[in-house]
Amino acid sequence: MLEKLIGGEKLEKRALEYIQNYLKIFISAQECLKTLLLTEDLERSYCIENLEREADSVRREIISTIYKGAFLPYIRPNLCTFIEITEKAFDFLKTCAFEFRYINKEFYKDIKDDVVRIASINVEMAEILYKAFQSLLKKDNLREKNLAIRICEKKIDELKLNLTEKIRQKEITNFWEGKNVSDFTEALAKISDIIEDASDYLYILDISLK
Amino acid sequence: MTELVLLASFLIAFAIGSNDASNALSISIGAGVIKLKRAIFLFGILVFLGIWLNGNRVMETVGKNLIEIHSKTLGFSLLISAILIILSNWKKLPLSTHQIIIGSLIGNAFAEGSTINFISLLKILLSWIISPITALFMSFFLYRIVEKIFLKVALFKIERFLKIFLLISASLISYNTGANEVATVLGPLIYSGVYINFFLIFSVSSFLVFLGAYLLSYRVIETVGKGIVPLDPLSGFVAQISAGITLFSFTLLGMPISTTYCMIGAITGVGMTKDLRTVKLELIKKIILSWGLSLSLALFLSLIITKIVLKIL
Repeated sequence: MLEKLIGGEKLEKRALEYIQNYLKIFISAQECLKTLLLTEDLERSYCIENLEREADSVRREIISTIYKGAFLPYIRPNLCTFIEITEKAFDFLKTCAFEFRYINKEFYKDIKDDVVRIASINVEMAEILYKAFQSLLKKDNLREKNLAIRICEKKIDELKLNLTEKIRQKEITNFWEGKNVSDFTEALAKISDIIEDASDYLYILDISLK
Repeated sequence: MTELVLLASFLIAFAIGSNDASNALSISIGAGVIKLKRAIFLFGILVFLGIWLNGNRVMETVGKNLIEIHSKTLGFSLLISAILIILSNWKKLPLSTHQIIIGSLIGNAFAEGSTINFISLLKILLSWIISPITALFMSFFLYRIVEKIFLKVALFKIERFLKIFLLISASLISYNTGANEVATVLGPLIYSGVYINFFLIFSVSSFLVFLGAYLLSYRVIETVGKGIVPLDPLSGFVAQISAGITLFSFTLLGMPISTTYCMIGAITGVGMTKDLRTVKLELIKKIILSWGLSLSLALFLSLIITKIVLKIL
């Protein structure tokens, strides 16, 4: 009776399932990018767009379920912001896949190792983010996951520095080729920043009711 | 004269509904736990249950133990209370319902030359001082305990817990509004010596409290719940449950105490867990001034009006 009075119990369960699903799609998109960068099979670049569209529809479901009455209004904006932050990472994944279609393959050979390593760490970070969210469902050490994400992000920063040094040593004669490489590496390195922001937000969310 | 006593008591019941429903409901509504209309409906039911099941002790203290009731002039004194309470609600003056009613009754007793039980009066005065302090300490320690427990619980479990317990604490305050606040109003009427059907009186007065809340309280509730009090759900719950437990304990002792002051004490207690500087001396001064003003104004007016009425009659 009490649950009926309060209402929203089913909505909450549904919203949480959607969020977990959303994060799983995020991991799949990261894996898809990693495979694309590793195999250089351009067909793979389209799976990211498909996953992004799927994530977009799940995101809409999450926001509408939350505003239909799931959770206390006090934490609703925080949950929505967490989803919106993660959404930005999808944009960068899409940019990365798009720019990769036009990248000079000879040029790519020299940076492939660093790029694939960054993509692998991004996958790892997405998985940790999923586990961090699950910590909110059953009390687990969220701080530990938050720290692991920060360490990964630091690794990516170092790799990005290395990558930039390598690119600078190359002579680029075509403006569009230069822009393409710059946009590609920029988008790839930005994904980890977004995951770190999302993880920080989860931490804020966790302490917001305590 | 019974009609006048009834009219005054019902007017006060209506005023309590319009003004004091916010004490019980604003935090839960502000936190989005329950919708306004549903909350007011629940409030009405709990007020009735409060009067019916636990109102007797407070009614006895106010109507039987404090003064010797004179039904001839009681209606005028209660009417003064009603006018003062409605006026203070309307003009937003910080006058307390309890102090006004007790002041009016004492004024009536002075005018009538009837006996006043000073031990009862002293107990009531002490309970007005002790109750907000009790609520303050209770919320201070309860917040510390709950905070420690919550550190070991997952976020969404806390969220579910808070939803349920915010509703329980709101229900406790609603119940006490009936068992204490409305009982203070009905005490003199019940012990005035006139024949009345108790069940009917309880039903009508709780319906009037509900009506007051339904028709006039929504603005106060929305302002307090969503605007003035920026309480997070945990602080809101701790403040409300501490005030509720304090009120219920004093109700069991038969002491007519103010819900608003208990809430102020409890909110201050929660604030003190963050920083001791949250205790506002200005607010304490205002409360003391409000006590003195409510009590003396009601006493003085009741004394004068009763004297005039006695001369005419």
